[in-house]
Amino acid sequence: MAAETAKAFAALERQAQVLMSAFIAAGHEAVSPAVIQPARYFLDVIGEGLRARTYVFTDPDGDELCLRPDLTVPTCRLHLERDAGAQQPAKYCYNGAAFRFQPQGSDSTHPREFRQAGIENFGDTEREAADAETVALILSALRAAGLQGSQLRIGDLGLFRALLKSVAMPERWRQLLMHRFWRPDAFRAELKRLVSGTGQALDPKRRDFVATLDETDREAAQAQVAAYLDDQGIELTGSRSLAEITESLLWVAADAKAAPLSPETAAMIERYVTVGGPALRVTEDLRTLAKAAGPDMTRAVDTFAERLKLLSATGVDLKTAEFSAEFGRNLEYYTGFVFEVVLPKLGRASPVAGGGRYDRLLKAVGAPRDIAAVGAAVHTERLLAAINGGSGAADNGGRA
Amino acid sequence: MSKLILAVPSKGRLMEQCTEIFTRAGLTLRKIGHARGYRGEIAELPEVEVAFISASEIAAYLKDGRIHLGITGEDLVREQMSDAATRVKLERKLGFGHADVVVAVPACWIDVTTMAELDEVSAAFRREHGRPLRVATKYLNITRQFFTGKGLSNYRVVESLGATEGTPAAGTAELIVDITSTGETLRANGLRILDDGVILKSEANLVSSNVAAWAAETNATRDAILSRLSRGQTSV
Repeated sequence: MAAETAKAFAALERQAQVLMSAFIAAGHEAVSPAVIQPARYFLDVIGEGLRARTYVFTDPDGDELCLRPDLTVPTCRLHLERDAGAQQPAKYCYNGAAFRFQPQGSDSTHPREFRQAGIENFGDTEREAADAETVALILSALRAAGLQGSQLRIGDLGLFRALLKSVAMPERWRQLLMHRFWRPDAFRAELKRLVSGTGQALDPKRRDFVATLDETDREAAQAQVAAYLDDQGIELTGSRSLAEITESLLWVAADAKAAPLSPETAAMIERYVTVGGPALRVTEDLRTLAKAAGPDMTRAVDTFAERLKLLSATGVDLKTAEFSAEFGRNLEYYTGFVFEVVLPKLGRASPVAGGGRYDRLLKAVGAPRDIAAVGAAVHTERLLAAINGGSGAADNGGRA
Repeated sequence: MSKLILAVPSKGRLMEQCTEIFTRAGLTLRKIGHARGYRGEIAELPEVEVAFISASEIAAYLKDGRIHLGITGEDLVREQMSDAATRVKLERKLGFGHADVVVAVPACWIDVTTMAELDEVSAAFRREHGRPLRVATKYLNITRQFFTGKGLSNYRVVESLGATEGTPAAGTAELIVDITSTGETLRANGLRILDDGVILKSEANLVSSNVAAWAAETNATRDAILSRLSRGQTSV
């Protein structure tokens, strides 16, 4: 990786000042969270897969630390340090370095060390208004920095959750589908399994045993499992108890007995995933879907439409905005609205800014309850490259 | 004249098998100087310099291009290089050093036979124990890649440099990713391989480094070794 030149440094500093001034003028307090963070917060929120993209290391005390891969989690931690109960709403902004391992080698659009300038808005329960305000502020800051010709992409994970809630299926299947939503292949396989009946996938011996379990009497079921293990000559080892194993087998039994997911419902879920197009037009497609799905989905579509109205009212031009139901599928910590600002010459794999709603993140890093939260960050090196005519910006191979 | 550097495992059964495979190809692999030394040669190919080093170091040297060719396990290549396809080329499987890298859980987990079921259990485990499932392994990168590909995120890798199969019973991990050839050690430790838990069927490979300094002579030497080996292998 090339050493940074003084020229790029000065230009980035100037640009950061413009962005930060816009954020501060909108009521965000400038903060500077720690660069070195305990790795566990990120591992808990994003999972072990995070290590593949993060510089994780052990210090001489044996503590597992990391160079922050973004500034959102550090800002959440900073907020909770000041206000452990997260009682007060707060608006922050920051500009600082973030670090990500680039498995295919770093280049100018995918540097391993880059500066993020961003905003976070915690505790504002007027969610759609806060979503709209976040987009509007990011877009106006980008304009102030000199960016033109950008396109807005939006998504809404709340729509998918509502769709699942609308249709009849065991609650556990909803959780499974939600959990698998992030991995399209696993998701499709799960839908297929639920339609064909989950018992089909079990091997016959296990299916027969599971069918005999007494689901009305936990203790009796445990005794059955113990006897089965004994019979097979299997010892109970490890930290999962007989009760845990039995509980999980009872779920398998309940799933196998439940009526399979109807093919119509599965088709509707598949249809939702393919919804996409100009944001202003897509609302109609969603309404059609909601008619078939039910009231929860109708309410979620109303919320979506309301947010679009608020975006328009804050001056966001929605004519070129695109919606995709699949958008946000690779960002597990988002819980609702998501957006990205892209440029044709950089491509979708290299957005200059992005963000969304993550109402569960604060609790995951220590808040006593879920706190409404929405935020966004600008990839400042990409922004500078885009404004300066995009040096080295064209060669991105579909990387995020 | 630039020599081709070939690295061969420095001890044990792997070294013996390498010597055998070269012998079958009509090549005499031998040490220079005293028997515990680390330098060697191929009597029939004076343009080759042989280095005897450990199999895992061979993978590291191939990655950096410090050697042209090396004999090492595919598991070590995959583990040590996130970009193996660009760094090295697996020239030839050698038919020995077979070992499967597998995901194994306690046999008493009769509710878990697939990675998808492991995924479901991982969420329940976390609710019950307040921490994620721990996976003991020396294959940190292979494990993460495979688990990510299967959609698992609710787990934590714990590095284990020996006696990995004992960690679930000892309570320092819930499951393991390890190598096995017959599965006997796993069974003896009360573990079972998941139905879709074979990550990699590894064996010893002759590997070339894409980032080493190659010249016309070294290219020719490599081709000579490869063609001799392929004749040797087909004649078995």
